[in-house]
Amino acid sequence: MTSIEVHDLTKEYGGRRAVDHLTFAVRPGLVTGFLGPNGAGKSTTLRLLLGLDHATSGTATIGGRPYSELRAPLRRVGALLDADAAHGSRTGRDHLRVLAASNRIPAGRIDELLAETGLAPVARRRVRTYSLGMRQRLGIAAALLGDPEVVLLDEPSNGLDPEGIVWIRGLLRRLAAEGRTVLVSSHLMNETATFADHLIVLGRGRLLADTPVRDFIHARVRPAARVRTTDDERLAELLARHGQDAARDADGVWTVRHARVEDLGRLLADAAVPVLELTQEEATLEEAYLDLTAAEAEFTAQHHQEA
Amino acid sequence: MPFQPVLHAEWIKIRTLRSLVGTLCAVLPATVACSALSAAGSGGSDPLFSAFAGVSLGQIAAVTFGATAVSSEFRGAALRLTLSAVPDRRRWFAAKATAIALPVLAVGLVTGLVTLVLGRFLLGTAGPSWPEGLRAALGCGAYLTLMALFAAGLTAVLRSGTATLGILIPLLLIVSFVIGDVFGSVADVLPGRAGQVVFQETWDGPLGPWSGLAVTALWAGAALLAGAWSIRRRDA
Repeated sequence: MTSIEVHDLTKEYGGRRAVDHLTFAVRPGLVTGFLGPNGAGKSTTLRLLLGLDHATSGTATIGGRPYSELRAPLRRVGALLDADAAHGSRTGRDHLRVLAASNRIPAGRIDELLAETGLAPVARRRVRTYSLGMRQRLGIAAALLGDPEVVLLDEPSNGLDPEGIVWIRGLLRRLAAEGRTVLVSSHLMNETATFADHLIVLGRGRLLADTPVRDFIHARVRPAARVRTTDDERLAELLARHGQDAARDADGVWTVRHARVEDLGRLLADAAVPVLELTQEEATLEEAYLDLTAAEAEFTAQHHQEA
Repeated sequence: MPFQPVLHAEWIKIRTLRSLVGTLCAVLPATVACSALSAAGSGGSDPLFSAFAGVSLGQIAAVTFGATAVSSEFRGAALRLTLSAVPDRRRWFAAKATAIALPVLAVGLVTGLVTLVLGRFLLGTAGPSWPEGLRAALGCGAYLTLMALFAAGLTAVLRSGTATLGILIPLLLIVSFVIGDVFGSVADVLPGRAGQVVFQETWDGPLGPWSGLAVTALWAGAALLAGAWSIRRRDA
């Protein structure tokens, strides 16, 4: 199957470095989330991958070849970059016809995709009359037109309604399960956590992390447990005796940091402390991400002071 | 990538935009109506030029068609999608130019023939002869095609249809006459003036009907090369 390989990729726009010696690979069969704040270089990297912008140095290849060398590229790689790529005066169906003709994709695929993306009823209306969500669906239909092995989507859930967001989640999972290489950029952490297996995180054009989602969260944020009891005094004494880092809030809920419910439950049962509630607080991707970027900001600040 | 599917895609793009189809179709009535008015009220000394005077209006439609067909790629992220489907930029631009040239040539030839027939009817014995008339009708197809391509190339360089039309329309309608009065020989090699010698029965400048069209072709070719270079070099 086809991997994406980015090696030592750099792109400067008039002295400003948008992508800075970036190296990573995207494997087939997984959904890889491409994260970073706005301006981190995600969209630039995608444009460099597609040969739309010329790299200052380094290489970006798909299946070992630069995109510009692919014959009938839409049959190998499908991309959604911007929702405003379609001409407002053309119908959605005609927009797809143009793309299909350029890569000799059978016309039957057009109606298949219009049905799959839920655009069949509006296919003969002009794109100008579409909502942002409908344009986004048209962009996704365009990306999948050639039944590509590699799918690159830039912020695909932009403008989609809740139903659309659930749909795209299922679609991404299915594409990966079919063995395709799926790279999805987003700045929405919790949304990305619902579909991604692997993460590539950028900050100011540089690679901050390239790791499975689970490892990323566990490495950066320790879990916590929530406890409620009728006997706060005994709980406090018990937790203190076992060296647990715990705090009680105004509502009487204790948060025990770095604790797992399996351990804490046994401890409370053994000490016969009455328990009203015991829950694990799972760390979110957002927390892990913020932890990472905070560390990064601190590093940069120190760096500047030293310099 | 083979050329034929790329050309097919570019042709669908033109067919599916009503504004483009409308502009292309406007070439015929604009030329014929303006020519008819000129021929009917003819006080001109050159019967061929009286019969084909409307080309100076019809060319505005042809130029607008060429500019709009290219400028639609610079709206939003259209060019990015186009070039991700066809990464070979030179081939893509060649297909775009071909998809512009062929329909303008067809419409231009029909326009030339209709203009000729109408001109001979309106001018009667004072009208142009068949050999010269047919030369002008063929020249009408060639001239309008070259002007559309000139506009297409210029639009690719400027990345804006509005800028292109803002330069070309004043140049074609006004400036070449003004300059023509002041510096005669410079104006003779401007794309509009040079190509329009084909619509004159007699000419006094250095360029004849075919050499004039050749000069316009050089302008169009240079604009297309500059456009292709710009598309290839710049980030999309």
